[in-house]
Amino acid sequence: MSPEPTSLLQGTLDLLILKSLIAGEMHGLGISRRIQQITSGTFVVKPGSLFPALHRMEEEGWISSFWGESENNRRAKYYRLSKAGLKQLEIETKRWSRISWAIDQALEVS
Amino acid sequence: MPLLVKARSFLRNLFLSRRVEADLDQEVHAHLEMLIAENIRAGMQPREAQRAARIELGGVEQVKEQVRDSRTGAFLDSLLQDLRFALRQLHRSPGFALTAVLILALGIAANVIVFGVLQALVLRQLDVPHADRVMTLQPKDGGPFVSNPEMRDVRDDNTMFSAIAAYEFQDFGLEANGVTRPVWGCAVSGQYFEVVGIKPFLGRLLERADDDHPGASEAAVISWSAWQSDFGADPNVVGTAVRINKHPYTIVGVTPEGFHGTEKIAQLDIFVPTANEASLDGFSWLESRSYRNLFSVVRMKDGVTMPQVQAELNTITARIARQYPKEEEGLALKLARPGLIGDFIGGPARGFLAGVMGLAGIVLLAACANLGSLFAARTADRTREIAIRMAIGSSRWRILRQLLVEAFVISILGGACASGLAWMALTGLASWHPPTRYPLKFLVVSPQPSLILMAFLISVLAAVLFGAMPLRQIFKTDPNDAIKSGGILSPAGRRWALRDVLLAAQIALCCVTVTAAFVSLRGLGKALTMDLGFNPKNALLTQFDLSQAAYTGDAADHFQRQLLERTSQIPGVEIAGYANTTPLSGDTSVAAVFSQQSADFRPSSKAFDMYFFDVSPGYLAASGTPLLAGRDVSFTDTAKTPPVAIVNQEFARRLFHSEHAVGRYFKNGDGVSIQIAGIVADGKYFTFSEDPEAAAFFPISQKANTSTALIVRTRRDTADMVAAIREVLRDLDRAVPIRDLGPWNNQLALTFFPIQVATVALGIFGAFGLLLSIAGTFGLASYTVSKRLRELSIRVALGAQAKQILSAALGRMLILLASGSVVGLLLGVAASRLLSAIVYQATAQDPLVLAAVALTLLLTGSLSVAGPVRRVLHANPATLLREQ
Repeated sequence: MSPEPTSLLQGTLDLLILKSLIAGEMHGLGISRRIQQITSGTFVVKPGSLFPALHRMEEEGWISSFWGESENNRRAKYYRLSKAGLKQLEIETKRWSRISWAIDQALEVS
Repeated sequence: MPLLVKARSFLRNLFLSRRVEADLDQEVHAHLEMLIAENIRAGMQPREAQRAARIELGGVEQVKEQVRDSRTGAFLDSLLQDLRFALRQLHRSPGFALTAVLILALGIAANVIVFGVLQALVLRQLDVPHADRVMTLQPKDGGPFVSNPEMRDVRDDNTMFSAIAAYEFQDFGLEANGVTRPVWGCAVSGQYFEVVGIKPFLGRLLERADDDHPGASEAAVISWSAWQSDFGADPNVVGTAVRINKHPYTIVGVTPEGFHGTEKIAQLDIFVPTANEASLDGFSWLESRSYRNLFSVVRMKDGVTMPQVQAELNTITARIARQYPKEEEGLALKLARPGLIGDFIGGPARGFLAGVMGLAGIVLLAACANLGSLFAARTADRTREIAIRMAIGSSRWRILRQLLVEAFVISILGGACASGLAWMALTGLASWHPPTRYPLKFLVVSPQPSLILMAFLISVLAAVLFGAMPLRQIFKTDPNDAIKSGGILSPAGRRWALRDVLLAAQIALCCVTVTAAFVSLRGLGKALTMDLGFNPKNALLTQFDLSQAAYTGDAADHFQRQLLERTSQIPGVEIAGYANTTPLSGDTSVAAVFSQQSADFRPSSKAFDMYFFDVSPGYLAASGTPLLAGRDVSFTDTAKTPPVAIVNQEFARRLFHSEHAVGRYFKNGDGVSIQIAGIVADGKYFTFSEDPEAAAFFPISQKANTSTALIVRTRRDTADMVAAIREVLRDLDRAVPIRDLGPWNNQLALTFFPIQVATVALGIFGAFGLLLSIAGTFGLASYTVSKRLRELSIRVALGAQAKQILSAALGRMLILLASGSVVGLLLGVAASRLLSAIVYQATAQDPLVLAAVALTLLLTGSLSVAGPVRRVLHANPATLLREQ
């Protein structure tokens, strides 16, 4: 099955979530903070975008979830990357490189 | 496997929705908690921390809703929501829901019933193997009858048919277990069951050898239902000896269940070979080319096409016509679909059913227009709700979908009720026995499961039709305006709204059905009061065939005279007489008339055709046929005296161009000169819608006939007289099976049957149309009035007169009603031309019909606006204005 075409922004969010999960399993807030960190604060993902994306990606089979204990002993839902997610990360990365290269090219034309 | 994962999450979302919801709730709350904890760690006060966390989260419910929308199967989920919402809406306005469901149920049921009949009688093939190869042959013009030699010639000369058969309906006296009963059956030629291609349920079917020559076999086959009812489902019935018309026969087999011959609406219970006709009928027609009494049915070989068959038929009939110019001149046969005696009944039946199907469609359209305007009005009332939903982010599509779901719910409920109604109606029709001595049965229309599918499809179609009416309203809604203006989307009374147009259209459509109903009602009225040329009132008709008790020639004549003598002596009998058959009985015979000068007796040189009857002295008086000149027949007219006849006025006019014909002569097809002894008034002989036809009455004493129709004109109570006549017959010979005994009018019922069916069917549609237009007019009038009551009250308060108020409130309703009615009346006039095939003198240009339709519409129109008008006139401005 070929991956469904995703809109630019949604694709970007997916890419960022997948990328942040490379570091290991994380709960929602962790992912959100991680994205903030790796993009040097450029992207602040609101829960209203984050959770729908997480649930959608889980249904796609790219990530899986389980309940665990948070750092200060709270019950929290953790997400981890699946095999399919790893593959999806590769696809999204390539796609993004192509887009960013193309945009760069476009901007260089004076 | 992403697909598998998706399917799993879909099912999980669908069936474990509560767990999924709880999970989501926990997750979002946990997230909030963590946000608060994070803020506190960053040094905020708990209250401050909580507030900041909530702001970052953006609302627990909103997040949850966004997650729900992104889930697999979100569409289905929201559809279920819509469904629940629709049910709640309908529950909230049960009056509206009930009306809508009822209107739709009736509209859909009408369509399903008509379609069920259409499918059974016209669309579905005969229930025999490879029915597409089975056809009938019938003369290109005229009735469906062929003669035995004609069929024999086609059988021997053709290369296209794998089997070809002829058959005749007959009423037999069947004697089994010591009881003689009249049973309808079929004399069939040798290949009949090869054409049909069915396998026997028990024993064997009739074969070629059975029909080889007269007396070749005494085999009879009975139908499954006769086996059930008359032979107690006896498994050893094969080999049972019975007597048919007093002749010994042996039952050799039983047909499979559901087989009743090859006519769809006839139920035949016994099958015997045609070869034995002479013994069964009392005379032989097997070799007569001019005695055309048979229907035919053929099976085409695989691979041959209709044009090929027709071409070969043309060659064969041309040869027959050359070989036997006297009887067969102009013979031409065509292929016709089997099941309804070829095109003879099939043609008119197909036309009528197609017309009724059209009316049913019109009724459904009217119902949809009705519901559409109701829906549009409701949508207008809900403008504010819709605007609010749009303002908080609902898409127009989502709102439209919600309305469509509501329409579907109503429609499906209506369709379900309609299925039930149609099922009952068709079951009733299937078990109904029309009031006739013929074996008519509509078993074939028994409801099929496919009917439910049909009802469902129509429901969906209807839902889309009326559910999409508010489409424009929704797409034009501007939330800003709608909320500001207090929810009046298209203020009633300011411009023409869609619902106004729908109302006019609906009234026009209903008007068509009302016109059709009145036209057929008027036709029936005319038919019932028409001068038939005889008077069936106060007359009893007794019918039997003496050949069924093995009488022939002189013995039959003797029996009939004795019967006449004995019945004439019954107290209360004014006069009695008998004939071989009576007018409008369905089995009248036709013969060619030649002028006295004619020496050439080929069909082409005949003067005209006449209906003829063999009658006894007294028959004319007993039947109420006025004798205008000359004398009645007499028992002194015998085979030894010169042949005489009594003819009707039309006969005299056609032959002599004058009604002074007594004493003059004509010739029959055998060249025999016949003197005219009397003149009777014209009448109806074959159908009551026929043009004046020539007819002749011959003395039955000059040519004995076993077929007997005794007419007794009486002053006494019918039941007593029936018993007295039965007693006389029993006394004369117990073995004569009486086919019919009762008021003559009852037996004319078959003649009036088609127009009665038409009138009932069209009457129902007319009534339904009226009901719809009342509902529609009333609905819209009340709606308009309720919307404008406040405004109207102000007018009243300012001193407006009742007339002004009425014209302001309902003026446009009247314009709609009037224009709709005029258009409908014109359409109705155009459509009722189609009715002329069945209905006697069907025309909508009849001033009485036009007046009746106009009056009915006026009446129903005023009836349906009466309520709203009262409400306007009795409105108390003071209370009303205070209330709002």
